[in-house]
Amino acid sequence: MNKEALIRLEHIYFSYDGENRVLEDYDLTVQAGECLIVKGDNGAGKSTLFRILNGLSFPDSGRYIFGGDFIDKEYLQNDRNFKRFHQRIGYLFQNHDIMLFNGRVYDEIAYGPRQMGLSDEETDTRVRDCMELFGIGNLADKAPYHLSNGQKKLVALTAVLALNPEVLVMDEPFAGLDKGTKEKLIDFLKAYREFGKTIIIATHEDELELRLGGRVEIMIKR
Amino acid sequence: MIIPEWMKEKEDYKSVSDRRRYIIRTVKSLSEILSRLSFQAGHEKEHALPAILKLILTIALMILISVTNNRLILMGIFALVLLYLSTWPAKDILSVLKVSLMIAVFTGILLTPAAIFGMSSGANLIRLVLKAFLCLTILSLFNHTTQWNHITGALKKMHVPGIMIFILDVTLKYIVMLGVFLRDVLTAVDVRSVGRDRNKYDSVGGAMGVTLMRGAELNKLMYEAMQCRGFTGDYDNHSGEVN
Repeated sequence: MNKEALIRLEHIYFSYDGENRVLEDYDLTVQAGECLIVKGDNGAGKSTLFRILNGLSFPDSGRYIFGGDFIDKEYLQNDRNFKRFHQRIGYLFQNHDIMLFNGRVYDEIAYGPRQMGLSDEETDTRVRDCMELFGIGNLADKAPYHLSNGQKKLVALTAVLALNPEVLVMDEPFAGLDKGTKEKLIDFLKAYREFGKTIIIATHEDELELRLGGRVEIMIKR
Repeated sequence: MIIPEWMKEKEDYKSVSDRRRYIIRTVKSLSEILSRLSFQAGHEKEHALPAILKLILTIALMILISVTNNRLILMGIFALVLLYLSTWPAKDILSVLKVSLMIAVFTGILLTPAAIFGMSSGANLIRLVLKAFLCLTILSLFNHTTQWNHITGALKKMHVPGIMIFILDVTLKYIVMLGVFLRDVLTAVDVRSVGRDRNKYDSVGGAMGVTLMRGAELNKLMYEAMQCRGFTGDYDNHSGEVN
């Protein structure tokens, strides 16, 4: 057991309705600054794993340790723990549509920084920087709901990045992106890694691990 | 690619509690109830009673429970229901009784003032609570023991117009789908609510607005898909199963 590990899942068992077991005696360790690429067939449990990592589902048994804290229902019931945990781990949902609930792209990205109590100036800097990263500055006043699929995904991602999380968890981030945007995202992730950020990605993309220099975790359908 | 300076650094953020988080939680709980509103395959056995018989029996029992004032009949039905339920696994008994008991308690609370101020006797109150409990339990038993496609089949045999079955089917599916969507949006709102949200109502309102737009979009998409499959606006009751 490595003491430096930022994320540790130990002997995780998870089933839906107590019947369909998705994870069985599952262990996972992620070091701070590591890039983990999770692969596997549909239904292998990638999204379930991500829900557990993000404290949205809880295992039937086993332990989840994040940054030295045991993450369970009880821990996250404390409002401050819940908020701190979700600031530290940013989650890009597979269905990015559910992440867009503000009237303007600008407000969507500013939602997190405003919550964190940053000044208007700091919030504005973060929003503009994030939009600039992916070249979506022209969308600032548009309604997220009416954007194209790829644009929505980028807005959802920038909204997560604006929280400046330690760990970025992304479920199928490349699905539905055109080649240019995909390349831009890969370039960003490469650069992002260099600053000690931890990245966990579920993807079907081939050879992403070679391009990002990450470790591959293959999940097998039960 | 140039990463902004603030993104390179570790965030020094101290979380604060937000007493108004209950708003998101409450609406999320409601959407979860909607998302669970699907009819279940549940306990339907291979040699179970035909769905039409169960449907007629359910309706007849509910009418009987509603109109009767005979305590003996009510107690008899109550005993039969409990006897039948006792053959089920504990988990399923709980899922049936949870809703019925909740409604019974709610009915009891609503009627208590009438009993306290002498407008209704205690016996009447107990009878009404029992009636509410029995109606809900019988309906829940029907739901748990009959698949949805068998229910629509039974409705057809009872000569309910096909278009009504279709509307009922689509409405239920949409309530569940939109309930799931709203629950997911609110989950996303919740995980990004990392501090004190001064505009919590805006966030919840935004989530509901997005769900409404999603509903309208799905509605349009379904109509287009139906047109592509040859739907002209007329619903043929004899063209096959409605599912």
